[in-house]
Amino acid sequence: MLRVFRTSAFRLTLLYAGIFCASFIALFAIIYWSTARYMDRQLDDTVSNEIAEIESDVANGSVASLQNIVSGLTLNSPGFFYLLQDHDGNVLAGNLPAMAPIVGIIDRAHVEIQDRTLSLRGKGVSLNENAFLFVGLNTIELHKMQRAIARTFVWGLIATIFISLLSGAFISFAMLARVEALSNVSREIVNGDLDRRISLRGSNDEFDHLAVSLNTMFDRIQGLMDGLRQVSTDIAHDLRTPLTRLRQRIEMTLRKADDVASLRTAFQATLKDVDSILDTFSALLRIAQLETSERRAKFTDVDLTDLLRTAIELYAPMAEEKEQSIIEKIDDGLTIRGDRELLLQLFANVLENAVRHSPSRALIEVGARRLVDGTVVSVCDNGPGIPEEMRTKVFQRFFRLEPSRTTPGSGLGLSLVKAIASLHNISVELLSNEPGLIVQVRFG
Amino acid sequence: MKILLVEDDRETGEYVSQGLREEGHVLSWATDGQQGVIEASGSEWDLLILDRMVPEIDGLGVVRLLRGVGVETPVLFLTALDGIDDRVTGLNAGADDYLAKPFAFAELVARVNALGRRPRRTLVETVLKIADLEIDLMTRTVSRAGHVIDLQPREFRLLEYLARHMGQVVTRTMLLENVWELRFDPHTNVVESHVSRLRAKLAVGGEKELIHTIRGAGYCLRDA
Repeated sequence: MLRVFRTSAFRLTLLYAGIFCASFIALFAIIYWSTARYMDRQLDDTVSNEIAEIESDVANGSVASLQNIVSGLTLNSPGFFYLLQDHDGNVLAGNLPAMAPIVGIIDRAHVEIQDRTLSLRGKGVSLNENAFLFVGLNTIELHKMQRAIARTFVWGLIATIFISLLSGAFISFAMLARVEALSNVSREIVNGDLDRRISLRGSNDEFDHLAVSLNTMFDRIQGLMDGLRQVSTDIAHDLRTPLTRLRQRIEMTLRKADDVASLRTAFQATLKDVDSILDTFSALLRIAQLETSERRAKFTDVDLTDLLRTAIELYAPMAEEKEQSIIEKIDDGLTIRGDRELLLQLFANVLENAVRHSPSRALIEVGARRLVDGTVVSVCDNGPGIPEEMRTKVFQRFFRLEPSRTTPGSGLGLSLVKAIASLHNISVELLSNEPGLIVQVRFG
Repeated sequence: MKILLVEDDRETGEYVSQGLREEGHVLSWATDGQQGVIEASGSEWDLLILDRMVPEIDGLGVVRLLRGVGVETPVLFLTALDGIDDRVTGLNAGADDYLAKPFAFAELVARVNALGRRPRRTLVETVLKIADLEIDLMTRTVSRAGHVIDLQPREFRLLEYLARHMGQVVTRTMLLENVWELRFDPHTNVVESHVSRLRAKLAVGGEKELIHTIRGAGYCLRDA
């Protein structure tokens, strides 16, 4: 429960509630002040009218006539309070005690009349013969009104505070519940349940966006984990065979070889075995590195035309030895973004496969063209090809087609091609050349 | 050659120093980076062989320090750090060559020889001669016993590299790295096929074989 007070949502709500209350107070102050002013002005106007009427009635008359009028008004105008005094301060008429003759609007609090204490507001004027007339009204109604407004305000403020705190608590509870759900799932994943995913609410709000990003991240992590697991399984599985063979050879040598010459031969063979194990090992590491690397930052513009010609030139003598011809149909000036060394390795691998697996006198065609939707490189041969059902399998580590199992090679070439391709977001497709194989590489 | 080895692993250190001594080099062995820097800057060496991960100051730091104070001794990195970018980092720091562990001893010997003698055979000569073979580096032409041999640009680079390391063993990977600028090993006989094509072309002018295959190591261009 107490956690809710520590959430940022709640703090934010408190802040908003504070701002809301402050603006409420400001609004009230303005209303209160302008209402009070309006009422004062109303009162002042009433008093001024009364005085103007008295003045017009008297019309430059003597103080005595004024005295009569004021006395009459005092009896007949309830609510109004009058005072007429001469210049010595003697009360001539009215129902108020004598006062200092101040001309203009005057507020008089605590005026004692008979047994009552009143608050008055009124206007004083100076008349002929230095007589002073004051007409005032009781402000008790005014004050009552102001108090009523203030009371309404206090209730309003309490309600505002109550509602904003309540809604704040509600909002932060709701948000907290969703965050809690996210962190629960994360915790379960941390604890090893890698298949768990955060469920979406379908409201397409920030939480759903966050959930989608987190789920994508979890997918990626799981992918990497699976990759790693795959690598370790592969290593365990496929390095065990050569290591076992190596062990047997050493054991045999220890048992049988008793002269230097046969020891030498045995050691040479052993060294060869170890080298091939090391090669496999570093190829696996390289693939794993590529699969997890963030090498894209180092991508530059690569001259694809030149790169393909380099690869062809590299394998030209090998093809020549097998009397194969490599036909080159490469457009000039093709450029792509990527890592030159890795791309060269990709095409070298593809070309090497073509040269190695195609029979003598085969035709190998390397084509590269820029199409509307990107650049396409295809390496076609008329060798044995790859049966359709095997075409995805050949990209797996250590997978080798039956006829090539006996030839040297690690079975990692196309896995490396795939790793380089996915780093570059390139698609590599295997198609049939009827007969033969087409390796089609598409740059997006 | 007078070689300083900086390597903290005892087994590897003994393997390298003993092997190179047998090859006729004079070897001194430091076991950490600090000692390496002190010894390297203290006296004249023909070559430094550095492990990248050594205590005190790592290999990269050693090279940077030495290059910083003007020590221009060739440096060969010998390391298990074989990541895609490790090599570039190493060479950028000022090393001259990079050899990943595990390596064949023949590979190390070839690279040591190539590095050590390089400064003495810099661009002074413009025509390299081996027996009746003449390689003009300026006009980029090759002739044997007076007959001009027509070579493709890459073949010329291959021959030029072999000739610059005349009498030394040059390995397959050294050729891949320096002639084709390939940092990976295609594992097939790409190099062999290029060399045999070059041999065939060189055989047109004279009968004597100049490019010799050194079993288990590589190739050597020499007049014998």
